[in-house]
Amino acid sequence: MESLSGLALAVALAALGLWTMVTRRNVLWKLLGLNVASGGSILFLVALSHRSGARPAIVGLGPSPAVDPLPQALVLTAIVIHFATLALALALVIVLTERRHTQDVKKLEEEG
Amino acid sequence: MKWITAGVLLGLAALLGLGIAGVWPRPEFPDPDPIATEWDVENAVAAIVLGVRLWDTLFEVLVYALAMVGVRFFLSGMRWQGILPPLAETPLLRRSADLLFGPILVFAVYVAVSGHIGPGGGFPAGIILGSGLLLLALAKGVEHLSTELYEPKLEGLEYVAVAATLFLGAIVLIVGVRSSAAFVAGNLLVALEVAIGAWVVVHRFASARGEV
Amino acid sequence: MTAVILSALAFGLALFALTQRRLLWGVLGVGAHSLTLAGLYLALSAPDVALTEAAVGFGLVTLTYLLALRRTGKLVVAACPLYPLLYQEGERITGLEWEILERFARWCHRDLEIVWVPRREIPRLLHAGEAHLGAGGFLPGPEEGVRFSRPLVPTKLVCLRLQEGPLGAVAGEPGQELATIAYEDAGELARALLRGEIGGAVVDLLRQREWQLHRLISHEGSTATLEEKGFAFAVAPDEEELWKSLEEFLAALEKAGVLEELRRRYLG
Repeated sequence: MESLSGLALAVALAALGLWTMVTRRNVLWKLLGLNVASGGSILFLVALSHRSGARPAIVGLGPSPAVDPLPQALVLTAIVIHFATLALALALVIVLTERRHTQDVKKLEEEG
Repeated sequence: MKWITAGVLLGLAALLGLGIAGVWPRPEFPDPDPIATEWDVENAVAAIVLGVRLWDTLFEVLVYALAMVGVRFFLSGMRWQGILPPLAETPLLRRSADLLFGPILVFAVYVAVSGHIGPGGGFPAGIILGSGLLLLALAKGVEHLSTELYEPKLEGLEYVAVAATLFLGAIVLIVGVRSSAAFVAGNLLVALEVAIGAWVVVHRFASARGEV
Repeated sequence: MTAVILSALAFGLALFALTQRRLLWGVLGVGAHSLTLAGLYLALSAPDVALTEAAVGFGLVTLTYLLALRRTGKLVVAACPLYPLLYQEGERITGLEWEILERFARWCHRDLEIVWVPRREIPRLLHAGEAHLGAGGFLPGPEEGVRFSRPLVPTKLVCLRLQEGPLGAVAGEPGQELATIAYEDAGELARALLRGEIGGAVVDLLRQREWQLHRLISHEGSTATLEEKGFAFAVAPDEEELWKSLEEFLAALEKAGVLEELRRRYLG
């Protein structure tokens, strides 16, 4: 039940993020849409790892079955790398605005 | 244009639905507790990140350091030439930052050191320490704090931490050591590297001019 | 059950954040959405992921965006104070140029920010890209390499002579080449004149009127008109669009008669 709602939310967030990336003209709004979409993909992996009535995968927390620890391990480093990539993208946006004085994609495409 | 986007979104939803149908109902899998005890720790996720999949984690550490080098490179020509405009500060922030930095540091070290027996590990600990440094920079001014922290030495320390992590990882992979001491050391080194990288980002962004 | 409520809340926050007009609210909304996502991970029994997502998504990502976006939507004006064009009265800033700048900022949806610097620093800040406009009695000086808007207030460059001695001027203004000693700002020039270090000053008419009004100089002297000039706004050399929109705005103001009314109100 909980994983189903998690999976539905992941699809919805990916769709919302993709919509924002395509529709908005400002580069920074596109970055925010990318942020939300990657949150959706992380949620997809974590929701896959959940079993019903489960406990976290730590030894000594009780008799009920444990969740799958593998997708959680994959996602743990991915979140931190996502922050590093975001910092790099924002640095590029700063340099771009310095040179071209605009963040509008249409105007950036015009002058080549 | 809007119809194309709607079509793409519908296709994406269908693809994801197919993917969910592929993994649903999810298969049973054996109890992950033996994985944890095999590596002499109690957190199965930490056992996977720093044990079973250590090779991937080493490269992710390398990717993080490379991203920070990239940030430094791109923002190198963009220092302020005039008076640095102050980040928003209030007296409450100034008084509380000095008070709060101690507990934040202790909490970050706790999360790092207890990563193998509870939730946490090196990565969140580094981010928490980076946020604490950001709080201190908001209160004291970025340039002042960067001279207090001896920033060139700090950047050198980051590279040393990355090299030490890779070296430790190589030893664990080749020799096949399975003790929790290696986990604690790896967590601490990763926390140091992530924290210094986050501080570099904060410093360069706060002292970069430009229109954004 | 908590997972369902948290999912709905996360989706609502993401929808709210990505349909905003102002970028600042979008960034804060995405930060709040990350925090609800962290709570959702906790409800899905993933404590490591929840801790990392809360620290990264809510702490560092929002703060990095805010650090990078400090100057978005701002109009930075480097100015030196000159009564009655642009001066500070207690806590408020007021004057003729201030009113024009305020209307311009509101017209192009930006926040106005004034940075007080000595006159000499204004071209340097404009070239370095740290200020968009220069104001506060900006007389177009020789070879500064900045663009100028249309002249707003006509004035004259006068040579004020009180006693025998060398001439002084404010560093950076066009009177500097006629004077022997240059001072940092007009206050120092007035004090030097009062102390008798210099015999006269090369300033513009409005500055002389300010001194006389505020009784900053002790007695009348002889005035000799040197040149006719006009105050204007200085625009940074690589801000083509800003210059065009400023010209358009000033033309519209002139046509509506607002400029005349402001001149009458402030200059008498």
